[in-house]
Amino acid sequence: MSVSEVSSLLNRDNTFSATLDHDGKVPVEHLDYGYIEKCKNVKHLEKILRVLRSGEEGVYPHLNQFCEDRVKSLDPTSRALRKEQPVATAASLPTEEWSQIREDLQRWQEESKDLEALMLQPSIFHGIGNENVPPVRGTNISVPLGQNPASKAKNKPPKRALPLDYKDWDKYDVDKECEMIDGSESKKDPAPVINSGHVKIRTRVDVTTLTEKEKLLMASREKDKGNEAFRAKGYEEAVAYYTRSLSIVPTVAVFNNRAQAEIKLQRWHRALQDCQRVLELEPINLKALLRRATVFQHQGSLPLAAEDLRAVLRVEPHNTAAAKHLTEVDKKIREGQPELPIKGRKILIQDIEEDEEEAEEHARPVDPRQPVGGVDSVVSPVERGDMGNAQKKPYGGGRGDGASPHSDASNGSHGHHRRGRGGSWDKHKAAAHESPGPGKAANGTGKRGSTASEPGAAKGGRPAGVDLDAPCGALPPPLARLKNEGNLLFKNGQFSDALGKYSQAIAGFTESGIDSPEDLCILYSNRAACYLKDGNSQECIQDCSKALELQPFSLKPLLRRATAYDSMERYRPAYADYKTVLQVDNSVQAAHSSVNRITRLLIEQDGPEWREKLPDIPLVPMAAQQHRREEIPTPEVLQARAEKAAQDTARRSELRFTALKQEGNEFVKKGQFQDALGKYTECLKLKPEECTVYTNRALCYLKVEKFAEAKQDCDAALGLEPTNKKAFYRRALANKGLKDYLASSSDLQEVLQQDPGVQEAEKELEEVTALLRQSLASGASPRKKVPITEVDGDQDRSVADSAPRPQEGGAINMQPADAYEFGHSLNAARSRGDAAACADLLSSVDPERLPRLLSNQLDGHVMAFVLEALDEHLLARDPGRVYRLLQSLHTAERFTVVLMLLETAERRRVTQLFEHLSSVQSDDFTKDDVQNMANIYII
Amino acid sequence: MSTPFEKPQIISHIQKSLNYTIFDCKWIPCSAKLVCLGNLARGTGVLQIYEVQGGELKLNREIEKAKPFKCGTFGATSLQQRHLATGDFDGNLHIWDLEAATEPLYSVKAHKEIVNSLDGVGGLGVGDGAPEIVTGSRDGTVKVWDPRQKDTPVANMEPGAGEAKRDCWTVAFGHAFNQQDRCVCAGYDNGDIKLFDLRNMAVRWETNIKNGVCCVEFDRKDINMNKLVATSLEGTFHVFDMRTQHPTKGFASVSEKGHKSTIWQVRHLPQNRDVFMTAGGAGNLHLWKYDYPAQRSGEDSEGGAVGVAGTVNLLQNVTLSTQPIASLDWSPDKQGLCVCSAFDQSVRVLIVTKLNRV
Repeated sequence: MSVSEVSSLLNRDNTFSATLDHDGKVPVEHLDYGYIEKCKNVKHLEKILRVLRSGEEGVYPHLNQFCEDRVKSLDPTSRALRKEQPVATAASLPTEEWSQIREDLQRWQEESKDLEALMLQPSIFHGIGNENVPPVRGTNISVPLGQNPASKAKNKPPKRALPLDYKDWDKYDVDKECEMIDGSESKKDPAPVINSGHVKIRTRVDVTTLTEKEKLLMASREKDKGNEAFRAKGYEEAVAYYTRSLSIVPTVAVFNNRAQAEIKLQRWHRALQDCQRVLELEPINLKALLRRATVFQHQGSLPLAAEDLRAVLRVEPHNTAAAKHLTEVDKKIREGQPELPIKGRKILIQDIEEDEEEAEEHARPVDPRQPVGGVDSVVSPVERGDMGNAQKKPYGGGRGDGASPHSDASNGSHGHHRRGRGGSWDKHKAAAHESPGPGKAANGTGKRGSTASEPGAAKGGRPAGVDLDAPCGALPPPLARLKNEGNLLFKNGQFSDALGKYSQAIAGFTESGIDSPEDLCILYSNRAACYLKDGNSQECIQDCSKALELQPFSLKPLLRRATAYDSMERYRPAYADYKTVLQVDNSVQAAHSSVNRITRLLIEQDGPEWREKLPDIPLVPMAAQQHRREEIPTPEVLQARAEKAAQDTARRSELRFTALKQEGNEFVKKGQFQDALGKYTECLKLKPEECTVYTNRALCYLKVEKFAEAKQDCDAALGLEPTNKKAFYRRALANKGLKDYLASSSDLQEVLQQDPGVQEAEKELEEVTALLRQSLASGASPRKKVPITEVDGDQDRSVADSAPRPQEGGAINMQPADAYEFGHSLNAARSRGDAAACADLLSSVDPERLPRLLSNQLDGHVMAFVLEALDEHLLARDPGRVYRLLQSLHTAERFTVVLMLLETAERRRVTQLFEHLSSVQSDDFTKDDVQNMANIYII
Repeated sequence: MSTPFEKPQIISHIQKSLNYTIFDCKWIPCSAKLVCLGNLARGTGVLQIYEVQGGELKLNREIEKAKPFKCGTFGATSLQQRHLATGDFDGNLHIWDLEAATEPLYSVKAHKEIVNSLDGVGGLGVGDGAPEIVTGSRDGTVKVWDPRQKDTPVANMEPGAGEAKRDCWTVAFGHAFNQQDRCVCAGYDNGDIKLFDLRNMAVRWETNIKNGVCCVEFDRKDINMNKLVATSLEGTFHVFDMRTQHPTKGFASVSEKGHKSTIWQVRHLPQNRDVFMTAGGAGNLHLWKYDYPAQRSGEDSEGGAVGVAGTVNLLQNVTLSTQPIASLDWSPDKQGLCVCSAFDQSVRVLIVTKLNRV
């Protein structure tokens, strides 16, 4: 007990001396308004209340009430306030409320009547589906009531308040009991048992034998359990139960709840997935939007968060939570880097994991009625899947083994849910479709379904490989049969047999004289696939060419021909074909990688002029191009669609981006910097304008001691966000690693200028300054030792950064529009040691603008370089400009710092410059002016 | 109180006087019907089915059997079948098809004396695993039955030879969150509470609350056991947090003296496991809410995990009758609807409002 508590107790005793009189009763003088008002002792007040209520000292209804109020004000939950109340009746409620309750009850009665009627119809599974019920337990196992002999002895006798009769006393052997108690206490001390709540909960529920009604009931029960666990902060458990509920019947609410639980667990990725699913099912679900905004915010995608919040506010303008959240996010956005337009991002095909999971979730045909992503619901699910995929999986044929006999079934159910994503390509599907057989068939039906007027192909719902008589496009039944047989054989890996079937079909086709180039094209293309499999590249090429004559720019024949050429080591035509494929569909990953590979080979083979030896690559007409959403040039026409698509792609790449970034961060945490580097680099491919990724990657480079690269990244980061502390700090470290102590120290000073509290920076600065002095003392110019790696660095970066580079192709941009371009031009010139170029650059800029153009990029090297350029090149041409440049240079940011840290050689250069300048006669300045300025520069 | 309309209200919707002593009443799942079990004056058992219909209880069916019924449950049957399991004064366990109740579907002489309490699990979509019924009797044994096995129990928990036989007043299933795990909790007249682990067939935990245990119930049967409420003869009840079991201290608990008389029953709201109602010997009902502590487990002096109990808050209390309320059942389908029976030979349908806001 602390001193104050004791004193307060003492005081209370003084004020209310003798709270109870000798009989343990409340003194009569305490039954007083004044006393009750002052008394703070709830226990005592309760006693007073008891006395007042009992009426022993007289009945004082008002004092009674006053005392009750006083107790309530001190302790609203006091037990003394609990009064027995009569049960409420309908009359004690407001009429409206009661009628509402009654109606509700009436409705329930009716509903439950219907429900019961439904229940009484026995399920068709009734009585047969009991395999999943565990067997009867072992017969009649006897369990002794005690925990074990020791605890039995220990626990039993003392538990009784009193022995019930004398016989019990007789049985009681004190010594023995004591012994047992001692023994038991020393003997056992097992570890505590913790039921952490989510252990061993099955996340799937077998509901095959249940009726729809029962499923709904069970799903809602599991949801309740999840809600309860959520309220008890058992988020893991809640997720488990929500998952169970979803495995019975997926509902929007449960997805939403699970998202919330995942947010609590900080599993942003999964939370995002759940939100996405809610929004797929119900595009304007405010809760899901809000939650997704939270996720985005935590993942650092502030613009997307803001977008979601705005969507909420559009629907519900007075949603205070959203408004508050939005201002927060907006503030953060403003604090952070200016948002760059989201456009032209490379769409990589890397959503596999997500989609797979989603397919798992959805593929169970629990609720096929749910509209998914606005797909035409007339088409049966299987067909939908096929149609969506048919044109996207062709390259699968190039490497497929076509072995999966299940591919039809799985593809059907998986596919149909993926359609919600705007038909975007996904790799997993290709894996499921490695055999071109069903793919072909699907291609055929796809075309029919979408172009021809004949009613939706009857093939839907029946796997092509099984039903050999399924109609295929315009093929007459015997040919269709041949083709389907061929597909089946192909799928089973009997390529030569399939070849025969296709050949027959083609022969039959030409004989029958049907005019259906599509179908013939497909047949040729399929036969080409067989040839390819058999290694007969020559025939394959022929068939592909025939197919392409029939249907120019068909993806699959093109790809197959490319593969065939490739395998024959005829790289030039292969290259041309792959390029054409990419024109048709830019998202074919296999083509991309092949193009890259072949490019390398061709360069090796033909040298730098390899392009000249290529055959003509045909220009693909717009109509034949697929999946080029990001390049649709007519936003006016298709604005709504394009916007949606762009959003979708943006979001996908955003997702991918955040996932990659997170993985990268994880690796960093684990210390696997190389792996992290890979992830960040991928990130930057997606989003070259993300400052944090540059700084993160810089950190990784620092850790693996690639200082030049680290410096590059920091420069890039600073280009995006000129005041990024981290970037400065890391560049300082990189510079230190490169033994460029001067630059390092100026960077560190920049950091300290921004935030004087960064202790690491201070420490580093001390260290660097010491090193700097050391290196100066040793007389060697540290600059000489620095391997200048700017050039390669720039190349690296230009791969990562898709923004137009001013110095691309070696030309230096002499008309820099802003500080960024100026910096690049200057760097380019400097990295080549081209002082003349620098002089040109300087002569092209307005001297007044120089400080602004240099912004904070000025360091010792830049300064020395600029002075060199001025001295050796510009001075001879235009001394007036040199003077003006110098005049404005000294107003540049960080000038004094840089000046102080100049090396001896560089100082000499400055002196030299001013000597030269003063020796020049000019109308623009006098000797005195030069002298004044020299005083500024030479310390 | 300050905000009377924000608190849940307990409204007496229907009251029906009966001509027999009613011991138990249960809602029939997926319906607006309920069964009442009791003892006719002439010493026979009676089972009545009522339907809630526009503010009335309409008698649907009445079945008379030789022995008075003490207790019943639907816990071990499927939603389609909805067979009622009953325990009677003679120690029999029966399972009835309420549509054709002339002969029981399952009948066993379970105990030598009255079956005080029974509970079922594995049916109604509640809990994974086999359907099982547990019975507790005055003869001191607790037995677990599988309706698929005739005549013999699948587990029998009885005092060893030479041990005094205590009257088992109450039994409850819990921890049935997968096919293997399952626990039975039993309360005895001497204040013993025992937790049997049916997976390991051993007593997992026991304690004594000093007064006869009138009723025990897990907050949910089909989750990893979370909370257990035990009510006692002299009016206190204990809420045990069943998540953390300390080797010597067992489970953390909080106790509350809500009633001035015996608490006959405790029933958790099926839609929210943290809300429960206790029914007292003075004809009163108390509605409680359990609030979890910030951290559900802490460390003891030796660094072992020890549970931390939360707090119990009274949401509402009303007096219905002058006689004890012996049974209480929440409707599994309609939140807030409950039925209770008192020894004044009446059954009441109550509505509790605003439960979704607590």
